[in-house]
Amino acid sequence: MVYFCQIMVSGIVVGSIYALAALGLVLIYKSSRVANFAHGQIIAAGAFITYFLTVDLGLPIFFSFLASMVITFFLAMSVERIFLRRLIGEPIISVIMVTIGLSSIIDGLIYLTPFGTENYSFPAFLPTTPLTVYGVSISWTQLLGVIITFILIGAFSWFFKKSTVGISMRAVSDDQFGSMSVGISVPRVFGLAWATAGLSAAAAGCIIGNITGLNFDTLHAFGIVVFPVVILGGLDSILGAVVAGIIMGLIQQFASGYLDGNWGLSGTGEVAPYIILVIILFFKPHGLFGVHEIERV
Amino acid sequence: MAQNHWLSTGNFFTSYKQEQRNFLTHLDTSIFTFFLILLFAWPLFFDLGNKMMFVVDNLMIAIVAVMGLNLVTGFAGLISIGHAAFVGIGAYTVASFCRTLGTSHELITHFWPLVIVISGLVGAGFGAFVGLPAFRLKHLYLAIATLSFQMIFQWVINFMTFFNQGQTIFVGRVSWVTGRVGRNDHYEFWYYVILVVVVLLGFGIRNLLKTKYGRCLIAVRDNDRAADAMGMHPGLTKVYAFALAGFFAGVAGALHAYVYRGVGFESFTLHESVSYLAMAIVGGLGTLNGSFWGPVAIKFLDLQVETLSEVAGQYLPAGMNLATALKPFTFGLVIVLFLMFEPRGIANWWRIVKSYTKLWPFRY
Repeated sequence: MVYFCQIMVSGIVVGSIYALAALGLVLIYKSSRVANFAHGQIIAAGAFITYFLTVDLGLPIFFSFLASMVITFFLAMSVERIFLRRLIGEPIISVIMVTIGLSSIIDGLIYLTPFGTENYSFPAFLPTTPLTVYGVSISWTQLLGVIITFILIGAFSWFFKKSTVGISMRAVSDDQFGSMSVGISVPRVFGLAWATAGLSAAAAGCIIGNITGLNFDTLHAFGIVVFPVVILGGLDSILGAVVAGIIMGLIQQFASGYLDGNWGLSGTGEVAPYIILVIILFFKPHGLFGVHEIERV
Repeated sequence: MAQNHWLSTGNFFTSYKQEQRNFLTHLDTSIFTFFLILLFAWPLFFDLGNKMMFVVDNLMIAIVAVMGLNLVTGFAGLISIGHAAFVGIGAYTVASFCRTLGTSHELITHFWPLVIVISGLVGAGFGAFVGLPAFRLKHLYLAIATLSFQMIFQWVINFMTFFNQGQTIFVGRVSWVTGRVGRNDHYEFWYYVILVVVVLLGFGIRNLLKTKYGRCLIAVRDNDRAADAMGMHPGLTKVYAFALAGFFAGVAGALHAYVYRGVGFESFTLHESVSYLAMAIVGGLGTLNGSFWGPVAIKFLDLQVETLSEVAGQYLPAGMNLATALKPFTFGLVIVLFLMFEPRGIANWWRIVKSYTKLWPFRY
């Protein structure tokens, strides 16, 4: 039972990180119908910027966390401005390939720095003895990660529900021409969507980096593994991203907790999301909360 | 008016049959024959050495794979981010023959054309299976289905002891009518084999696009609802496009297994899939000659970047590997620049040159 609860807890931890990482992907898809394959690289960039600010410049970690969110905010915005703005109205394959190309470019840039090849970890600023309740233990970094994730998700949902900018973003995702006619600048909203996605990616990167250590391969792998999450949740639903993130985290942890080592299996945690993805695509392709688009000739 | 059979200044077709010909003018025929003879003859006069011949073989295999990708992505408009996995299916078909029958079983060494065709068919089967969601889905969802196929493939190869957990599985040397193909002739022999395969498959695609089934692919790409209304079955067409791409990839994979004389996991990763896509895009999606230009351009770029980083590496502190950084960077930059400034790829330059020379010197 303790084992079960332990897996449950780590599943929720992993899942909430997935939710935060998937949030950025959904934001971009929702507003501009672009699937961003460079998301993992932005996550990694955010984490490395935080590390650079904390360790090399000696800033307090919470300050550099916020600073890296601001930096990636503008970074992602400029990426949209430079590369994606020209491709509005181009076929979907061009747009997908541009994000893949971007991911390759950011890969190259990160490999130029020492971050590309070596492992780092944030300086410990929390007690290292894990918190144990009834035999189920959770480390302070994990707890902090989950708390920050939920604060951020709450902030994002407030932003989309109440603020004018958030409402205009939802309007654009609903109907671009309609929102143009009421005076919303659609390109500006696209830029903002990328910027907020960059911000959430940086936050996700820092939280992951704090829990697992900074390794470029692990960090940018998150950019691929969020695709099963967003498909399960429905590509254009923020609530879906959160729910699916947690479900996927639980599935992954239960798979690796109970299947690995039995019947000679190993690494099932890594492949489980993709198997789930294939099953979803066959039976419920628009996910839990996604909208089924009606097409006309 | 007697028609000029060497240079045509316009289209003078009077029947469909005339339009369907492979070569429209005598000039086309002679240019094609010239290039074909050139491609077959040059290894007789220049000895590149095994190392360069290996690069050329690699390039030709990439051409076979990209032809398949171009069918599914360029002509049928379905994005496939798992093409390297299909290539891997072909290679691992050969590998599983080797595992079950032994590395130098007669089937592998003497009946290798059969093995290549079988690998293609197995690839086609997997392609059709992965394409099944196409009955209900399109665009991004399909792209992600192929992505998940890629990830599952990687996991299966790394996990199963039958596939040596991703470590190299050896493939025996093949025999030809002149006897066993030795170490020195190996790459040259396979160059000819792959060249024949490329020519056959190239004609295959060219003729396919002139038939009902080929036009069906393009109709579904342009508007699948409209194609549905015209009486085609978009779902089936998409599955069949994936199966075709799988066949090409399977053949490429089998050739890869034979040329490398071994099958290892690292040639079929997500990164390879992306670079196949890049080749197709740089070459020009939806064009046949794009499938030749793209691999040539990307492989050439790769080689140049490698030499550049070797030269630059001398002036840098030791232990810093410039190639790992420069390779993805230039690769990504080339994709992005092509998509932004020349989305129709190198094939478009070819088209421009051709239409310029067609009317030269009597332009408007």
